[in-house]
Amino acid sequence: MLKITHLSKSFDSLKAVDDISFEVNKGEIFGFLGPNGAGKTTTISMIASLLKPDSGKIIIDSLDLDTNLRKIKKIMGVVPQEMAFYEELTAKENLVFWGKLQGVGRKTLEERIKYYLEKTALLGRENEPLKKYSGGMKRRINLIIGLIHQPKILLLDEPTLGIDVQTRLNIYEIIKEASSQGTTILYTTHNLQEAEELCHRIAIIDQGKILAVGTLDELIKIVGEKDIALISGNFSADQGRKILSSFKDASVISLEEGKTILSLEASKKMPLILEQFFKEGLSINDVSIKQPNLESVFLKLTGKELRE
Amino acid sequence: MKNIFLLARKDFIRKWRNPVVIIGFILIPVTLTFIFGLIFGPSEEKILPRIPVLAADKDQSIFSDFFLGFFKQGELNKLIDLKKVEEKEGRKLMDKGKASALLVIPENFGKNVWEGKTVEILLLKNPSEQFLPQIVEEVCDISTLLLSSVFSVFSDELVLIKSFIDQGNFPDKDVSSLSVRIKNRIEGISQFVFPPVISLKEKTIKEKEEESPFSIYGYILPAIATMFLLFICNAVFEDILREKEMGTLLRMTVSPLKISEFIWSKILTSALIGSLCTLILIGLGIIIFSIHWGNLFLVFFIVLCLNIMIAGFISFLYSFIRTERQAGAVLSSVFIIMSLLGGSMIPVESFPPFILNFSKLTLNYWGIQAFHKAIMNAPLKEVVPILLGMLFAGILFSFIGSYFLNNSLKKGLVK
Repeated sequence: MLKITHLSKSFDSLKAVDDISFEVNKGEIFGFLGPNGAGKTTTISMIASLLKPDSGKIIIDSLDLDTNLRKIKKIMGVVPQEMAFYEELTAKENLVFWGKLQGVGRKTLEERIKYYLEKTALLGRENEPLKKYSGGMKRRINLIIGLIHQPKILLLDEPTLGIDVQTRLNIYEIIKEASSQGTTILYTTHNLQEAEELCHRIAIIDQGKILAVGTLDELIKIVGEKDIALISGNFSADQGRKILSSFKDASVISLEEGKTILSLEASKKMPLILEQFFKEGLSINDVSIKQPNLESVFLKLTGKELRE
Repeated sequence: MKNIFLLARKDFIRKWRNPVVIIGFILIPVTLTFIFGLIFGPSEEKILPRIPVLAADKDQSIFSDFFLGFFKQGELNKLIDLKKVEEKEGRKLMDKGKASALLVIPENFGKNVWEGKTVEILLLKNPSEQFLPQIVEEVCDISTLLLSSVFSVFSDELVLIKSFIDQGNFPDKDVSSLSVRIKNRIEGISQFVFPPVISLKEKTIKEKEEESPFSIYGYILPAIATMFLLFICNAVFEDILREKEMGTLLRMTVSPLKISEFIWSKILTSALIGSLCTLILIGLGIIIFSIHWGNLFLVFFIVLCLNIMIAGFISFLYSFIRTERQAGAVLSSVFIIMSLLGGSMIPVESFPPFILNFSKLTLNYWGIQAFHKAIMNAPLKEVVPILLGMLFAGILFSFIGSYFLNNSLKKGLVK
């Protein structure tokens, strides 16, 4: 459904997207995971035709984006991070407006509005202006607007930002349903749990490059059976390297002043490592050990935590 | 086209639900017109302040009283507020600017007049005032002339009376003879004095409502309204930047809608809401100020063409603007300069020809000219060229603005 080949984009000297390629199948929820500034928004913006790539190809539903822009726009939906609607208008007026703009017929539009409002528990409040809605309700309307024309491909940019658990689950449900009906979903997030729970496949992106693509299980295999340990304290990179060199089964993922990330066969080794640090007179502030999961994969691949 | 109307409808609903700014821009010109009309317009009765005049009477005689009494007669009493003071105090008050003039009647004024000698009355005028001391001077001239005339006419009788007073003796025979002489003298001059041969009839020229449709309000309202139309159209058009911030423009860009359709919808909404507000202002002008706008069909076209021109011009300006802050700073300055040059603040008739050339480059000038010509029932051949000019300028600006805005809006969509 979506095929990206050797896509690149630079802003002056900054390479925002650096030769990335991936494919997303029909009906798949494809998670795009990466820290701020990793290149997620630039990639999505190029797919949405908001930015022109420096090089590379974007094929959507077998159509080249370069030459079939108008056709592709008809089958594409977008849910931006911002509440992109009109607060002075009611929920229904907004949905009618955006639906008509996408070319949905009056009767179909009415049916879909009713369906989605019911699905999001907003039926009965459709005639209230959106400025009276809570943050969670607004998020749901923001999502419905992206789905109202039942696009073949839907670009979601952190659609669950700052909402309660109930709304989050409601949104997951709608996204999963759209996916099951054949909508291909490109889901940008930096919430690891969300990516684990929702996405069929995940791409981890950092500094403009895709570091890994696969299902959750496939990605966890990258870490193997090893745990990922993070040690922070008052030590230099050289001091850390010297101590860790004596532990053969601990491979260093990243080492910088005051912080090291290790991959360990078994976390049993950790007390010995810490003892060594203390023997050298170095203080340790924080230690955390992560079992193999998306977070540990992310740590291993990028050398940093996602919240950074 | 369908999309343009869909977008325009949406903007109409939004503005309808949040009308505070636009209502403000409608009420301000009406209020200003009312205030300026009161200040500069004609009124039934002009209430002038009484002129404060000080009088230092160093003579304190019947003649000085007679002279000063002149200022307290009839209409003069309404005009002049005469206050008796000592000369020293009077001069102090004059130094403080508390009076328009100080009259100093010298000692022996009455005696000298009685004896037919020339006397001088001193008039000190307040240098900080221009017209009021002049009025006092004129009144003094007239009163001294009148007093001199009385003494000239009755000089013989006055000499006789003086001799009675000097001798302290009033013989009945001489007094009755004097009375007869005075009576004869008065009867002799009365045929020339009463009734006056030439009389003055006062009449204030009223507004020629029936002869000319023009009123002060009909002059002021179109001028001020044209200025505020710039702000009204801008209040609609600035949404273009707000939609960029809100993300709705980004969402539209991903939809089948073209950005140019979005821009044209803003031009259309801006022109239509501007026209609607102008029609409301015209209606208020009729109801509140009884303005006769001339041929209303023609006025309707003026409204449309003017607002198309303004909306097009604003779209052109927005192609240079990136943020709401820039819009606030730049556009307000442009509108105020245009209004100043174009006659919204000062009538262009008072401009020197050099500045008038610049006035003709403003939207305000042509809008005001068109309205004034309609109000004056000018022939169509004078109004139609202005209408066509405004329409042409509007369309031209819209195309240029739409082209440049199309490019500039695409650039800033991804943050």
